[in-house]
Amino acid sequence: MIDYHAILPEIILALTVLAVLVTDLVTKDKYYAAVVGMAGLFATMIPLLTLALCDDLAGCSGELPRVLFGGSYVVDQYAVVLKAVFVFAVFIALLLAVAYLESDRYYEGEFYFLLLAAALGGVVMSSSRDFLTLIIGLELVSGPGFLLAGWRKGDERSNEAALKFFIIGVTGLALLLMGVSLVYGITGTQLFAELAATPQAIVDEPVFALGLLFVLLGFTFKISAVPFHVWTPDVYEGAPTPVGAWLSVGSKTAGFVGLLTVCYLAFPQVSNLWGPALWLAAILSMTVGNFVAIQQTNVVRLLGYSSIAQAGFILAPFGAAAAAGADLQQAFAASVTYLVIYAVMNLGAFGVVIAVGTRLKTYELADWSGMYRWSAGLAILVGAFFLSLAGIPPLAGWFAKLAMFSATIAVGDIWGYSIAVVAALNTVVALVYYTKVVKTAFFDPVPDTIDVAALEGMDVAPPMQLALGITAVLVLVLGVFPGLVSTLAQYSSEVVTAAGL
Amino acid sequence: MRNEYFGDYVTVAVFLLAGVGLVAGGIMAARVVAPSRPNVLKSTVYESGIEPTGGGWNQSHIRYYIFALLFLIFDVEAVFLFPWAVSLDTFAEAGQGVLIYFEMVAFVLILLLGLIYAIRKGVLQWE
Repeated sequence: MIDYHAILPEIILALTVLAVLVTDLVTKDKYYAAVVGMAGLFATMIPLLTLALCDDLAGCSGELPRVLFGGSYVVDQYAVVLKAVFVFAVFIALLLAVAYLESDRYYEGEFYFLLLAAALGGVVMSSSRDFLTLIIGLELVSGPGFLLAGWRKGDERSNEAALKFFIIGVTGLALLLMGVSLVYGITGTQLFAELAATPQAIVDEPVFALGLLFVLLGFTFKISAVPFHVWTPDVYEGAPTPVGAWLSVGSKTAGFVGLLTVCYLAFPQVSNLWGPALWLAAILSMTVGNFVAIQQTNVVRLLGYSSIAQAGFILAPFGAAAAAGADLQQAFAASVTYLVIYAVMNLGAFGVVIAVGTRLKTYELADWSGMYRWSAGLAILVGAFFLSLAGIPPLAGWFAKLAMFSATIAVGDIWGYSIAVVAALNTVVALVYYTKVVKTAFFDPVPDTIDVAALEGMDVAPPMQLALGITAVLVLVLGVFPGLVSTLAQYSSEVVTAAGL
Repeated sequence: MRNEYFGDYVTVAVFLLAGVGLVAGGIMAARVVAPSRPNVLKSTVYESGIEPTGGGWNQSHIRYYIFALLFLIFDVEAVFLFPWAVSLDTFAEAGQGVLIYFEMVAFVLILLLGLIYAIRKGVLQWE
């Protein structure tokens, strides 16, 4: 009756969330909660794999997409890939958080509980094919985020971050709900498949366009695209840095998942409306993000602005293709490619920033000068992740950029070419500040205030080493064998073909 | 379609105006008609005949907040339980009784876990 195999990842993850809470209650060493969480994440990956490979497995029947609950919940190729991205992102964020939380007196068990609950929200969002389920998933991602941002209770910055994030997040949600209510009011349905089949007479109503606009605005908050990006650097800076890592990857991916599913599956017939809007948001995000990032002296703020710019790059093919009315599948694949690679390299970049920050107790770029003298390993990792973000081969970032450029150029038309030119200029601008960080770490003299001998003796905590190792290897492997990601992206973009676009 | 859609809002607007008008009209009429002779006894706050002490902006203990929160959670649980209890029969006739029953059991158990968590963390202790 209910396809339990299809929702097994959600069930396992939900049970993991509860198990983490119980572990926190019965143990003294709170990192056991993290261990339980990680075991649960591994268990969640198993049904995701069996769902993807169902055809080749003995005793497994049923092809993707699997439709549940009257079309409200669909497990298709795209959902499986994105669920895996969420599980991966939260796994790395957990590893980063373990060492960070042990370094001071923080609540631990609750932290892991909330982080995993947020990941569950992302996993639910990937499959939701109606507005209600989508918004419940989105809330499950956002709610824990607000709390986690304020985890450093004694620090004013952290309180400010939590409050700012909460107010802006709730405003975004209110806009989204407003839009959904308008669309529901005029069409009488909130199921994506039925919305996509709305008669032309209703689509032409101004209310429909207004509803769409509100929905888009709601999601631009989440993906921190211009003009709703101002919260990003403040929140990343004030929140505990592992939370910044999760917000910049997990929470942002959730926003993109919502945006992609809503645009492609609920509003395909008005792509001439959302296309140009996203095209503009993409251009503004890359330009504003990159130009402001140049002036940053704090590395976490710099990553905040860089993540705004990267959101622009992810949006670019997607907005351009829709605006020009071109083939949406390649654009979709390019966006997913970029999203996956961005997730890996940005988690790595945040990881190395945390590793350096726990030693230096500061995130000011000036203090990073001459890092090579006191930790060659960390300096090399800084080089790897920041140059990957800049898009330099053989690190994974280059392939993300390549996919993005080839998709926008393939669009042709003024929409595609113009955004490709803007993106190319922005790549050069981005190179300035990414290489500035690398240059500071390698070539600048160590400032007098820094005690090299003391820093040399410090080790990176084992979970941190594992997180850095995984992301560093992936950044290299995906850069050398980009086929892995593009296969994944092509696979996930089958949802576009299935939707008949 | 459009007119019909916005037409519904006209009803809301009329209702809103009528509501505001009713209250405002009543107060205005009282001000015009009633004589105004205030004294100290008349102006004191009336609360069930108890003599008022202290100011209106009293601080209440932060612990009440946790109790209020926990109360709210179980209040909402009851709100969900009622329609479930009423419609369980219909589901049972359709052969989905067991599934729907255990879905609510799972929901209640999750809330119960929250209560156990609160007790274990010492939230309900009033030192």
